[in-house]
Amino acid sequence: MPENVSEHGGAASPADDSIWHWRCKVNGQIIERDLPASTTLLHALRDHCSLTGTKGACEEGECGSCTVLLDGAPVNSCLVLAAQTQDCQVTTIEAMASGRKLHILQDKFLAAGAAQCGYCTPGLIMAAAALLKQHPDPTPDEFLQGMEGNICRCTGYKAISEAIRQAAQEWPTPPEVP
Amino acid sequence: MATTPAPPPVTDKPLIEPSPTPYADPPPSPVGASARRLDGLEKVTGEALYAADFFPREADLFATILRSHEAHAEVLSIDTAPAMKVAGVVGVYTHVDVPGTNRQGLIKRDHPVLVEDRVRYKGDALAVVVATSESAAHAGRDAIRVRYRPLPVVGSIDDALAPKAPKLFPNGNVMGGKRIRKGDADRALAEADVVVSETFQTQTVDHAFLDVEAGIARWDGRTLVIHASGQWVHEERRLIALALGLPIEQVRVIQPATGGAFGGREDLGMQVHVGLAALKHPGKTIALRYDRAESMRARHKRHALRIHYTLGARGDGTLTAAKVTVFSDEGAYASTGPAVIRKASSHATGPYRVPNVHVDVYGVYTNNNPTGAMRGFGACQLAVAYEGMIDRLARKLGMDRVELRRRNLVRSGDAVTTGQVIPLATGVECLDAVMDRFRNGGRPLEPLPPYRRRGWGVSTICFGLGYGDGFPDASRAGVRFTRDGFLEVLTGAVEYGQGLLNMVAQIAAAELGMPIEKARVIWADTGRTLESGSSSATRQTYFTGNAVKRAASELKEEILDIAGTHLHVHPHEIVLRDGLAVTRFGEPRSVPIAELVADGFNRGYELSVKALYKPATLCENFETGQSPRAFITYLFVSHLAQVVVDVETGQVTVERYIACHDVGKAINPQSVDGQITGGVAQGIGMALMEEVVMREGRMANANFTDYILPTFRDVPPVETIILENQDPGGPFGARGVGEPPLIAAVPAVLNAIHDALGVAPHTTPCNPQRVWELLHPEQAEPPADIRFRTAPPHARP
Repeated sequence: MPENVSEHGGAASPADDSIWHWRCKVNGQIIERDLPASTTLLHALRDHCSLTGTKGACEEGECGSCTVLLDGAPVNSCLVLAAQTQDCQVTTIEAMASGRKLHILQDKFLAAGAAQCGYCTPGLIMAAAALLKQHPDPTPDEFLQGMEGNICRCTGYKAISEAIRQAAQEWPTPPEVP
Repeated sequence: MATTPAPPPVTDKPLIEPSPTPYADPPPSPVGASARRLDGLEKVTGEALYAADFFPREADLFATILRSHEAHAEVLSIDTAPAMKVAGVVGVYTHVDVPGTNRQGLIKRDHPVLVEDRVRYKGDALAVVVATSESAAHAGRDAIRVRYRPLPVVGSIDDALAPKAPKLFPNGNVMGGKRIRKGDADRALAEADVVVSETFQTQTVDHAFLDVEAGIARWDGRTLVIHASGQWVHEERRLIALALGLPIEQVRVIQPATGGAFGGREDLGMQVHVGLAALKHPGKTIALRYDRAESMRARHKRHALRIHYTLGARGDGTLTAAKVTVFSDEGAYASTGPAVIRKASSHATGPYRVPNVHVDVYGVYTNNNPTGAMRGFGACQLAVAYEGMIDRLARKLGMDRVELRRRNLVRSGDAVTTGQVIPLATGVECLDAVMDRFRNGGRPLEPLPPYRRRGWGVSTICFGLGYGDGFPDASRAGVRFTRDGFLEVLTGAVEYGQGLLNMVAQIAAAELGMPIEKARVIWADTGRTLESGSSSATRQTYFTGNAVKRAASELKEEILDIAGTHLHVHPHEIVLRDGLAVTRFGEPRSVPIAELVADGFNRGYELSVKALYKPATLCENFETGQSPRAFITYLFVSHLAQVVVDVETGQVTVERYIACHDVGKAINPQSVDGQITGGVAQGIGMALMEEVVMREGRMANANFTDYILPTFRDVPPVETIILENQDPGGPFGARGVGEPPLIAAVPAVLNAIHDALGVAPHTTPCNPQRVWELLHPEQAEPPADIRFRTAPPHARP
């Protein structure tokens, strides 16, 4: 090739993934799907279960938009393979309300104006649910440790903090976190 | 005997009976109420559908875009044959397949949809691949073989202006410029008692909205329907039609729920590409989505500006002259650059009275990402400069920086940079409100160890809203009743989180006396709504708010007319409130508006009104940049930041933040508060951490690990003060919120660092490395641990 020419592409296609038979309890329902083994939990939920309430944004664990509860603990679903959740329990934003009755966090987010563009909201609500489950009355340090992994680009965090604080005040008798 | 006045008899009646209202406690008007977001429920439950959420519910085929491997090169060949051999790939399209002009760009149509012969930045699009699965599309994309002849990369303004720089466009590397000439700045500077000079460098910033670009498109042989998130659906439709060679009537753009924009969706992203794929595969729904890296590598950015600023004053602090020269990195294509340059120049001296002004702004093409619209739009970079200069001048004069501002802030009747006279200038009021809160509130300060230093900084800005400068700027809206008694507002304007839906609904509801619960909004669908202009330039409250109010006001006449026949009084003697038409005088009698609406429909009335709001701004004199009405109105804002700087680590923490905005009238105070606090967070990000790092035309930190965004830890609860000096032309007196929260935040934080350290920052972001450099000007390089704590990868050991 002449020196002043660069050539790119033409790469052989990556070999197809092997297929993983994924079985998982999502929002209380046992789900079975055949997925490429490299599928993340985020894409398993969104692309294979139509649970699009869980959002992808950075897909490298920096922004928390994809937070779901895995056996009750908050995880970035973009960093978890679906295969790692075999026979586990996954809870997503879709399970937080029951019918038209909102979870207390959803209600407070709505009242405080904590959702603006709303894209970070599902992840924030899941992270906050995990936080309040562990620390019903979080200290400022516990609060920051629980929430700092979630980025919001619109609100400046004030209304979100306010919503979580108000939810904490009514937390002793909350609707059960599924 | 002393007489005492007898107490009034208990039976005595006041002359006028308090009106027995049909309700015990009259509800407040929907304007001024913090009504819940109309789209809030679907957002907190996860039911709102953003563009990427149509995957894979609706997609028949998946598309992806091949991006340039080189920052600057001649394209010798694009061999698509290897891609067509990939299983699942059903089509690969290059520029020869684009039926229309193959050009996009909001101001200059200079940006190819698919590159013909030359790539100018690493995000340039070369081909669209369509396949039966997303992974097959990606494999096909990687299989396309492209041969380039690399050209020298123009990586900076200096590279671009060098004598032997390669020409990026036939007319050279200077995209354009704008000047302001007012008085005689050179002479005034020579005669000034004090002169301060500085060169500022602001950084390239990414919008970093969380909702990555995605879209679906379908061509049924008659209409190309595209669901994708932009900021101006009608202009997008026009540009898509041009690029693809379709009549405009055959394109329909529908905006889904949108996760932030901040100017980042003003330029087209993948709309034309997904539309092209749809045209090639009739009857199929095509889906296309970016990942974060593609989003950051392909999209335009905020302009990095180099600002040379010289400010002169008399010994008493009265400003006399400003001379400002600005070079702007436009990147590979013009985008909205020409407008950004104009806005930068027209805000060069901010809210201050400066009789002699000399401004030259130049936009320079490079091989970096195109730069275009982002919240602040040139005005925010200039605010870094003029507010930084005021603090430098105060130090040099030994004057109080608040007093220096008060002395020079425009008062009502004074003119700003463009020569436009401000009828109602409230900068002093904002500044005083902020200082009053600062001095008379807040928690006692914790004592600091010697290596941590505290400081506070204040900023005052003004901002001209709308496109300005004589550019046609209009909004249209429709307001109508439905047979089931709902009030519907139709607007082409886009909601991306800022609260537009509530703004239009609350204005219409207030005008028609309807409860907000009975209002709903149909928005941003070129098939159903009228052209309302872009959701940008802080313009929608003023422009679309006014259009909605006009339409609602006309519809109100119809309702009052029907009400008159029901209540047997003149329509002028009826008020509409809380869903009722109520007689104004005498014993109040009322009839539900829903009944009047039903009656209206039965009589064959349409009960639907469309209105246009199009105020005139005047084009400036091109020689002097002066205009009697460059902008429809100006916003005034003052912010105060208190920071703590760790002089050993260079870490800056914002401890306290106060923001005062004169919004004219807060249509929804909660929304206004949210816009302010959110803008402040972005301003803190720009002041302290966010920076796009380009190396030889390659974005080195196209991810959220290396592009640092403010988190819960970085933003204190912003104390907001909302002033309501009503704007005579605004709907219910409202002006807007939009961009100013960010514009004022950056200089407030930088001035606080100046106060804490005694050294003035001149380069943004003021991250640990830059703080270290400020404190150690004599040393070439900071120690490795500070370099490592500082985000940009180029600085890492």
